[in-house]
Amino acid sequence: MTTRAAISSDALLLKRRKKLVPWLFVLPTLVVILSVTIFPTVYSLGLSLFKWEATLQDKPFVGLDNYIRLFSDSRFLHSLWVTAVLVVVGVFLELVLGFALALFLISDKRPHRSIVALLLLPVMVMPVVVGYTWRLLWDAQYGPINQMIGWVIGRPFQYTWLGKTNTAIFAILVTEIWQWTPFMFLIFYSGLSSLDQELFDAAKIDGASTWGQIRHLSVPLMRPIIAVAVLIRSLDAIKAFDLVYTLTGGGPGSSTETLSFYIYKVGFQFFRLGYAAAMAFLLLIVLSVLLTYLMRYLKAIWQ
Amino acid sequence: MKSSRLVSVLGLLLVIAMLLPGCAAPPPQVVERVVTQVVEKEKQVQVEKIVTQVVEKEVEKRVEVVVTAVPSGVTNSADKAVEVAKAQCAGKEINVVWESGLQPQDPLTFAPQWDALTGMKTKVVEMAYVDLYTKQMQDATLGGGAYDVITYAPAWLKDFVAAKVVEPINPLMDKYMNKADLEDYLPVYASDGYGRLGDTWYGLPDDGDAFVMYYRKDIFGDEANKAAFKAKLGYDLAPPKTYQQFIDTCQFLTEKLGPDVHGCAYQELEGQAFDWFMGPFSGAGGQWFDPATMKATLNSEAGVKTLTNMVTLTKSMPPGVQKWGFMEVLSAWMEGKVAMIITWPPIGRWSEGVGLMTSQLSWVPPTKVAGKVGYAPEPGGRTMLAGNFALGVSPTSKNKECAYLFTQWMNSPTVSLQRVMLPFALRDPFRQSHVSSALYRALWPSAGEYLDTLKTNGMAGQFELGIPGAREYAEAVDQAVTAALAGTDPKAALDEAAKKFDDITERKGLDAQKKAYAEWLLGEWNKPGPR
Repeated sequence: MTTRAAISSDALLLKRRKKLVPWLFVLPTLVVILSVTIFPTVYSLGLSLFKWEATLQDKPFVGLDNYIRLFSDSRFLHSLWVTAVLVVVGVFLELVLGFALALFLISDKRPHRSIVALLLLPVMVMPVVVGYTWRLLWDAQYGPINQMIGWVIGRPFQYTWLGKTNTAIFAILVTEIWQWTPFMFLIFYSGLSSLDQELFDAAKIDGASTWGQIRHLSVPLMRPIIAVAVLIRSLDAIKAFDLVYTLTGGGPGSSTETLSFYIYKVGFQFFRLGYAAAMAFLLLIVLSVLLTYLMRYLKAIWQ
Repeated sequence: MKSSRLVSVLGLLLVIAMLLPGCAAPPPQVVERVVTQVVEKEKQVQVEKIVTQVVEKEVEKRVEVVVTAVPSGVTNSADKAVEVAKAQCAGKEINVVWESGLQPQDPLTFAPQWDALTGMKTKVVEMAYVDLYTKQMQDATLGGGAYDVITYAPAWLKDFVAAKVVEPINPLMDKYMNKADLEDYLPVYASDGYGRLGDTWYGLPDDGDAFVMYYRKDIFGDEANKAAFKAKLGYDLAPPKTYQQFIDTCQFLTEKLGPDVHGCAYQELEGQAFDWFMGPFSGAGGQWFDPATMKATLNSEAGVKTLTNMVTLTKSMPPGVQKWGFMEVLSAWMEGKVAMIITWPPIGRWSEGVGLMTSQLSWVPPTKVAGKVGYAPEPGGRTMLAGNFALGVSPTSKNKECAYLFTQWMNSPTVSLQRVMLPFALRDPFRQSHVSSALYRALWPSAGEYLDTLKTNGMAGQFELGIPGAREYAEAVDQAVTAALAGTDPKAALDEAAKKFDDITERKGLDAQKKAYAEWLLGEWNKPGPR
């Protein structure tokens, strides 16, 4: 080999090595990410195509049968409905209350700052602790909620909020709203704080009322933040499990079973892992579609 | 809004979004660890002396039958287990699964004694009741190895056998156990479906969970109450035998003594409410399935009547009873606020103050009903055998023999008597020698009556449905019960449960389930109907 050819070959080798080196640096991280996220996801997808039950000797390949069964599973459909109620009603009320609180407290005055800190306490408490605490609050005989209602109506009031089909979901909603409204409040408070005050001053000078400023300035300017807050909170609300587990156990009957709770029961109590995987994947698909549309909406707003 | 500000805000939101998953707590686990107290040694010595004499007498009678199975020298199962474990298992470690809460006080008290005797190291792995099924299944599904001694409820036995969570222990029993021990079990707890399937043993029955109806003798014995009851209902005020009598008595007492005292209460909390349905359902002749077709029949007339009765009865119970678990029933009873309860055996002991001075039971409310408690069978013709535990060995254990020897020692007549007498124990008498123990019968004035009732109730007991998918079937019943108690029409609730039953059966395989159910019905305490 001539010297020029040798030099050329070495240079090529060096070039290839230089391209490879960055990959070597990111390889450990890639392996971790793949093994912790991608592999289990793909494995679960595979599992969802089998009739995999721990107590059955045979675990045959059934293709899309698990997915097809979902649409005739009344309990699954009911859990979708319960989840939808918690997400739509809960997140909407959290949005309204959080925004209202943020508007009310947006101020440089000191007392408001200490109130802000207190308002954030519920969101810092673990959902399981919130659940067990509120279970005591909702207690029929000794719960303070019934006691206060009793004071108002002037006679003992001992209603079993968590033991009645039509009020159990209401109790979960109230507890959820109590815990997560401060989260929305924090986001909106930060957002409102960052708005250009000059716009509001100009509007005031032009004679705009407070409601007018909120309607025509605050809300439009906060649209991207509202969209992101709703997205984040909805994604979390869809996974609602802790409060359902601690407050009602999915009952009475299965009236308050959310999708996450039903997946947990099917997968980890009944060990029907194939079916549970199919439900989890369907949820993933629904969330992905939701996220895609929301991101498009956000992109449109930002543009 | 300026783009830099927007970026800052979005950055903050992203950080919050990344932190959000940390807010989602995993399914809660409740694990309690309580420091054990040493039981009075003097009493233990006495126990050993008395029980040893009883066992030796029984062995002498049977020596011609079993002597060839057990080498000469040591015939007592407890001592045999120690002898062998000392020789073969010293230095080895075993993981023993146990229900968390108060239950592990039992192994936490006795495992150190076993370790001291044998040189082994025994670790108690505590799990909430709902996790016992899940985690042991999970371990077996993933290849096993985490646990050596398995704890299971009879309802799960078929599932555990299918999933290889437990394996046959006949060879080990033949090798090490004094077979007279098997004769000492109360027949109900030695029956098919608890420790064994047919002649194959998978675990040693280790608990006598028979429901008892506790009632207030002072309220039932009050002359004014008796006269008023007789005048209103036309028969004598007495512990009810039929469910209608139960409803009548509960209603009467609530009207007369309420709101301070209610006539009755039992657990209606989701998760175990089905246990208060199953006993009366069986007593009314209700069948889970038609054995010929395997179609669910829990929504039959017997089922609807049973559930309707429960709904009616609930109206006379304390407010909020639909969310009452074990603790709420216990508190109300110990405070003297309820005239009748149906629950597990330990409450009988605690009602009399037995063990309440120990730190382990410091959470139990002080008793206001000591000396006033009567014991009776569950009304409706069958007493529920709710729960129960057996001790098995994991097929993937690296120390199978050592694990088995530990269970044999714990379950032996001598040691198990000490265990069921432990003041803070939740293990209930399951052997003849427990029920007839002079020491136990002297624990409080009516202890003899209590033990006789446990035996009678056990012998009239009804086990939970124990075929593959038992957890799913039980959950379907539980949901029907809680739905009805929450206001759903009982027939509609049971129709929904029957549909779930049929779905589960179809999924598990109709023929396989039919065979399993037919085999299960062969168990004397599985057949429905009054006893």
